Amino acid sequence: MPEILLSRQLMEQANVHVGDLVTLAAEPDGTRAGQFRVVGTYEPTPDPMKFSAKRLEARLHLPDLIALSADLTDPLSTESVNVLNVALVNPQEAGAIISTLAARARGLMVRSTARQDNSGGPFAVLDRFHWAIAIVTVIGSTAFLLALMMMRAEERRDIIGILRLMGIPARSILVEVLLEGLLIAIVGAVFGILVARAGQGVVNRFFQWRYDTTLVFVRVTFPIAWQSVAFAVPLGVIAGLAASWTLLRREVVSLVRR
Amino acid sequence: MTSRALAWRTVAASPARALLAVAGVAVIGALLFDMLLLSHGLLISFRDLLDSAGYDVRVIASDDPPAARIPITHADALIADISRLPEVQEIAAVRWDRALAIVSGRPAEGVTLISATVGAERKAWRIINGENLVAAGGTREPPPLVVSMRFAEALGLKVGSALGMRTTMFGAASAIPPVMFRVVGVAEFDFEPPGDLMAATTIDAFRRVHAGRGQDNADVVVIASRPPFGPDDAVTAINHLRPDLHAYSNAQLVTHFDQNGFAYFRQISFVLSSVTLGFAFLLIATLLTMSVNQRLSEMAALRALGFPRRRIVATLLWESTMLVGVGGLLALPLGGLLAFELDHILRAMPGIPERLHFFVLEPRAVVLHVGLLAATGLGAAAYPIWVAARLPIAATLRRETVS
Repeated sequence: MPEILLSRQLMEQANVHVGDLVTLAAEPDGTRAGQFRVVGTYEPTPDPMKFSAKRLEARLHLPDLIALSADLTDPLSTESVNVLNVALVNPQEAGAIISTLAARARGLMVRSTARQDNSGGPFAVLDRFHWAIAIVTVIGSTAFLLALMMMRAEERRDIIGILRLMGIPARSILVEVLLEGLLIAIVGAVFGILVARAGQGVVNRFFQWRYDTTLVFVRVTFPIAWQSVAFAVPLGVIAGLAASWTLLRREVVSLVRR
Repeated sequence: MTSRALAWRTVAASPARALLAVAGVAVIGALLFDMLLLSHGLLISFRDLLDSAGYDVRVIASDDPPAARIPITHADALIADISRLPEVQEIAAVRWDRALAIVSGRPAEGVTLISATVGAERKAWRIINGENLVAAGGTREPPPLVVSMRFAEALGLKVGSALGMRTTMFGAASAIPPVMFRVVGVAEFDFEPPGDLMAATTIDAFRRVHAGRGQDNADVVVIASRPPFGPDDAVTAINHLRPDLHAYSNAQLVTHFDQNGFAYFRQISFVLSSVTLGFAFLLIATLLTMSVNQRLSEMAALRALGFPRRRIVATLLWESTMLVGVGGLLALPLGGLLAFELDHILRAMPGIPERLHFFVLEPRAVVLHVGLLAATGLGAAAYPIWVAARLPIAATLRRETVS
């Protein structure tokens, strides 16, 4: 009895277990069929291009698949395969080998499995889309942040006025505001990254449940965390300075006057 | 003085702060508006695109992604069988493939070459200049070709120009000799992706380009159902006639698309809408709470002068309404501009037809946007209102005097 592996999703949907006998047919009406014994299950390799598709898949030995699906009227069909995987002794020679194979076998598509520059691909477009959303969010939150910082500075008007009356120069107060803003911005950015780290688990679990896949949808990587800090800290500091500057440039008397 | 006037004075007393708050609400509101447009935009646009073609049923060979390109074989016999069904009024077979367009003195350009059954071409593309394939005489030599505007501009073609077409073979140069064509018309193709060039020819010429390969194949068979039968009746009849094929009405295709290809955008729009609303709620609530905290003594004084509690509450509600209302209204045109840019980014995806849009303006999105922002404004004002309403007058005034 030929052996077969079924994907986890297919095993669950068809309620099949290891050791069961299953029938596969090449035609929708059930003709050209064969029986197989299920000897195991596997998790399909996550593929972002197929994340919304139900992965109802099976793996057969190549001779079994050809015997099942070959077109008897086409002698070439028993000699045909869809893909050949090649492991190179020296992976650096991939480009030369691709050229050689493409030149020798007309009509053959030869590609390296190494990551290609795909700036026009769907995921590059999605990346640009998410960047645009992130920029808009930063602009909106900067406006709010400035408003909040202005209110915070206004709250401290009396204190700043008294410090100025005591003779502390505006520059020193500005440095104090800068350091305070820097501290708050760093703490805020770190807190934001921690929230994102906690949120990524929730988002991943939701989408993995929704699409029955092991694909990872959100991952807070070091470069992303670094980009967030690089945006957030200068913005926080500049917002604090800008808000305080509106107070520091005023006359001291106007700060302490009620 | 009314509560509204008092709220206006409070807002106007700190114009920079108010402007920044309104700007923040406007930008975040624009993002929310865009996510609401995205939540249904692609579906609406897809449905319009399908309906505008004039056919309401499509038959394909496989449920696999279009990239798998599994053709319908023996298409002529299939068309003859389906056209005999009483539910079917009009039927056409459509084929397409990649080809190289060869114009003297220019590098060859990759294009999509399509062909449709005689009679279907008037629905598949709209002639802008010149004439259509049938009018040009499909049997004349060289065979006629209708090209898209972008195709004509890219290769410097006009009506009467000659060019060669050669089929491509999976990324390798094809050994099949090119077939010479003459351009008879320039047309607008509904399904032309922004980064692609499209041309159409007769079925006979299409077969010649492919040197006879797949003579009797079709990529899709499109059908217009006959009244009073609807597309659902036609789909049932076709599925009964040919259970090995897949027939879908436009509505079923849209539903299928909604559950698969579009699901990501629907969910990302839901996630981003929720995050945006939560973000807006937190920021407005923080702004109003800080504003109230700064004016506790002022409110206590107003209460001591005889201002009733409900007027204080009404004043804060008006203040929230002014900030969120003005910001929310500004968010609509701002969101429109932003949607235009985001749509431009997303439509760069390979294979997206020119007429398909991700963001489509619909009244439902505007109503939802206004409702959600109003609810956010009210919700954000709840805590500061609670603080102001429960303010102990004497203790607050004493604390203010002592401090």
